[in-house]
Amino acid sequence: MATASPNILVVEDDRETRSLIAKYLRGNGCNVAAATDGREMARAMADHRVDLLILDVMLPGEDGLSLCRKVRAESQVPIIMLTARGEDVDRILGLEMGADDYLAKPFNPRELLARINAVLRRQAAAQTVSATNGATALAFLGWRIDFRLRELRNPAGARVAMTSAEFDLLRTFCERPGRVLSRESLLDLTQGRNSGSFERSIDVLVSRIRRKIETDPQEATMIKTVRSGGYMFTPTVETLAASGPS
Amino acid sequence: MRPLGFLNLRGISGQIAALVVASIVALHVIITVTFLIHRPDRMEPSIDRRHSQLAAAVQLLGATPTAERPRLLDDIKQAFPQLNVENLASDPAPAAEGPTAPELRSLHRRLGPSYQVFSLASDDNPHRVGVALPDGAMLSANLLQDQRQRPFWSGPWMTTLLFAVISVSLLSLWAARALTAPLSSFAKAAEEFSLDGAAAPLPERGPAEIRSVAKALNRMRQRITGLIDDRTKMLAAISHDLRTPITRMRLRSEFIEDDGHRGRMLHDLDQMRSMLESVLSFLRNDRKLESMTLVDIASTLQLITDQFNDMGHKVVYEGPQHAMATVRPDDLHRSVTNLVENAAKFGAETTVRLIAALDVITIEVEDDGPGISDARKDIMLEPFVRGDDARNMDEASGFGLGLSIARSIVLAHGGELSLNDRAPHGLIVRIRLPVRQQSRLSAA
Repeated sequence: MATASPNILVVEDDRETRSLIAKYLRGNGCNVAAATDGREMARAMADHRVDLLILDVMLPGEDGLSLCRKVRAESQVPIIMLTARGEDVDRILGLEMGADDYLAKPFNPRELLARINAVLRRQAAAQTVSATNGATALAFLGWRIDFRLRELRNPAGARVAMTSAEFDLLRTFCERPGRVLSRESLLDLTQGRNSGSFERSIDVLVSRIRRKIETDPQEATMIKTVRSGGYMFTPTVETLAASGPS
Repeated sequence: MRPLGFLNLRGISGQIAALVVASIVALHVIITVTFLIHRPDRMEPSIDRRHSQLAAAVQLLGATPTAERPRLLDDIKQAFPQLNVENLASDPAPAAEGPTAPELRSLHRRLGPSYQVFSLASDDNPHRVGVALPDGAMLSANLLQDQRQRPFWSGPWMTTLLFAVISVSLLSLWAARALTAPLSSFAKAAEEFSLDGAAAPLPERGPAEIRSVAKALNRMRQRITGLIDDRTKMLAAISHDLRTPITRMRLRSEFIEDDGHRGRMLHDLDQMRSMLESVLSFLRNDRKLESMTLVDIASTLQLITDQFNDMGHKVVYEGPQHAMATVRPDDLHRSVTNLVENAAKFGAETTVRLIAALDVITIEVEDDGPGISDARKDIMLEPFVRGDDARNMDEASGFGLGLSIARSIVLAHGGELSLNDRAPHGLIVRIRLPVRQQSRLSAA
């Protein structure tokens, strides 16, 4: 599903930006429909199957945040929010309203494409991972990873800073504990093959995550290197039903 | 002002007038009370004012025929026992000491030239005097103390003057204080007026003039704050709105075939974006505060180091693997990012150092660039001041907000930011943050 041309609906009030996003995504193998506001969005979603929604926060009429909440109440379609305000409040609100990811304007179009691929792959993969499907937060060895707020907290409750790519990779590990994951499949699950050199290689990301979560990054016990060429996440992962900032 | 404006008790002139009237009234009340207590008009019995009693008695005796004298003497003795007037039979021996000459002279002046006065002082009565009547008869009597000898400063008029001086000086001191205190508070408020509008408005108290000045100052402050707010909003709105065209250009640049052009365009757009972001975060700084949360600061610094390394800068992290403190994570991230950005701009290699003590966390961003001269260090912390204007003209790298944003974030954490020299050359920007929660150094 994710590998075929995904159907993407862009909801953005600025005509120019909308058509440029559509043009760029079409050029990268997506089917794109566009809408200017909530009403057009509802019509478009009723007419076609939509695999992913790109939603601007600042919209005429009903704003992006409330549209996001409405859509999330009815379906599991992945949502990426765009906003002109790079403010923390918007980020947290957007993610709490059920958005899967968030980009501040002006954004790098390649990063948008990478995020689209990551979200779609996660969505596709989540259907095969029944154990953690639908969970918004997971815990391992006292650590806590919150998908909604996109934050990681250590056993002492302190927030650990991570890039988006690091977070997505750790999330992928947490959703598949005890399984050997090749670099190729990790790349597939997190970034998609056509994201090019934009993101760091899996090895660099793994070493950076290790530095943040392992007791001794040289003697990794959580993310183990498997000789045949891959990584395995060893801790037991529990699903946290009710999540939210502690 | 109205012709009778000074009657208005709420004005300064009215209050001064009331003050003068009140002090005069108080003065009079106190003088009257003092007078009523002391009653200088009522003679005390043992006091012979200016020897008038003695003089009158002696003159009475002198004017009486000799036959009548014994009877009169008895009457006088009964009436003025304290004078103890007696017949003096024999010629007395002149005494060496006794009532002083001026006293005798004053008695003699009262009696007249036909009388003679001499001293009869003895050991048991030093105030005894003898008087020879015009017909030659002799009397002896007690010459009582004259009240004229009271000390000068205890005179009632002197008391009044002293009281007036003391009370007027006290009252004028108080009045001056009461009138000038609001004025000095105005001066203080004007000095402390800052653009964040956090200072409390001036209290509108005191005389009408002072109150109206306070009101006017408060209104002026509101207007200034309002004007600045409007400008700030406008600047923020412009910055927000510029994001839309930049977003379009960013998208459009993806369709540029020529890689060189595209790269340069992306570079320009990145610069515009970071300038806008710095303005927005500068404007946002003293208004919206992120909430505090426990953060592994080491991970934040490592993240920043990684991000700069990915962009091709040489940035090294030195410090513990983990160090926890309660901070505003995104603000701190921005603050250190700004510092590393500057360091990477001016130096070849940057070191981000974390020193975690029990009660304070020190973050150092060190570069091997040219450094900043002592004279410019203070200025550099001000907004819109760039490092080296001449060198950066073509590179137009920003608005000069990075350092001042970093500093205001650190100050909002209750910490401090200082610029220090590095040997042999370069700059160390040192952030010291107080640790709210006990910092735990552990290998998690």
